[in-house]
Formats: sequence, structure tokens, C-alpha cells
Amino acid sequence: MKGDAKVIEYLNKLLAGELTAIDQYFTHSRMYQNWGLNKLYERIEHERTDEVGHAEALIKRILFLDGTPNLAVRDPLKIGKDTPAMLKSDLTLELGVIAALKEAISYCETARDFQTREILERMLEDTEEDHAHWLEQQLWLIEKTGLQNYLQSQM
Amino acid sequence: MYVCLCKCVTDCQIREAACEGVCTMRELRVRLGVATQCGRCARHAQLVLKETLNAAPGKENDQAA
Repeated sequence: MKGDAKVIEYLNKLLAGELTAIDQYFTHSRMYQNWGLNKLYERIEHERTDEVGHAEALIKRILFLDGTPNLAVRDPLKIGKDTPAMLKSDLTLELGVIAALKEAISYCETARDFQTREILERMLEDTEEDHAHWLEQQLWLIEKTGLQNYLQSQM
Repeated sequence: MYVCLCKCVTDCQIREAACEGVCTMRELRVRLGVATQCGRCARHAQLVLKETLNAAPGKENDQAA
């Protein structure tokens, strides 16, 4: 089915964001694993597989709309050097994804592409309520309990 | 945060270098090796350097006075 060119452009932009998130979570999860912070490793690995699911949904939708998914583009990676910096840069990334999703959703609404909107809405729910919220909780815990206590709870 | 992944250079290291008198990208490149391999960090490194130089102590003193 031939889709709106601008919708496909938005979907490709979102795809770049998801692919960047996959790379960033891939690196961060393995850094946690290397440090023995296994709970953080497991959680971030779970985020990575979530993002793979999002990327897959975007690729499928782009193909369905007769577009070409561009898997060569990435946003700049933000790799932290320590746990708080890693959590913060992951949160920055998720907030960027939220803003991009909202922009795309409102365009889909004007282009009357309601099915793409619904797909993006599901991603927005995951991104806001699962990923970003969890990251905010971790930064709050570090602030309230101290970094050493937090790290001990993540082994 | 790592600015340059090829040479493992963080934003903190760039700020530190700026505080110690580095004020151009060329000097930064010689000192830390940023933007010498794949070059993708050049723009970000320059931004961090510029930010640090703009927030230099001289300006704070002006505000305090």
C-alpha cells in the first residue's frame, strides 16, 4: 500500500533513534555485565530487546507503506563512563525518542494515517511508562540512597 | 560521557584540558587524540570545548563584581 511520503520519512527518523538506542543499550548492558552489576545488565538487556521490537515494527510498517527502511543512519551515541552517567545518557536518549514519537504521531493524525499512529502510540507507552520512568526511578534512588548503596543493590 | 569512542576521551577530560589552557581543536587533538581516528566526534568535542571556554572563570568574576 502506497503510504504518505512524509510519514515514511518520520518512520525512518524514528528508526534511526531506535537503532541508536539498541547500540547504546548493547554497549551499556555489556559494561554493567563486565563490572558484575548483573541486575542492571539484565534490565538494560531487556530494554535492548524492547528496542529491537520497536525497530522491527517500524521496518515492517515502512515496507508495508512501500517505503525503504534505512538502517544505515544513527544518531550520535552517548556512552557514559560510570553508572550515573550511563543512566543519565539513556534517559536523555529516551526523552529524545518521546519528543520524536509525539511529533510523528501528530503528523500521522493530520495525514489520516491512523494505523501508523496506533503503532507509534504503543511505542510511546513503552517509552514513557517503562523505559523513561524506570531510568528516572534509578536516578532518584541514587540521589536518595547514595551511589554505593545503589550499586550494591544491583549486583 | 565518552565524546570520542575511538580514543576513549570523556567530556570531563576535555573540560579539564580547557581549564588547563587548551583553547583550540588543534591543541585538543594533539593532547587527547580526539577526532584523529574516525572523526565523528569532532563536532561534539568542539561544542564541549566552546561551552567550557565560554563558562571560563573570568566571566564568573565579572558577574560577581
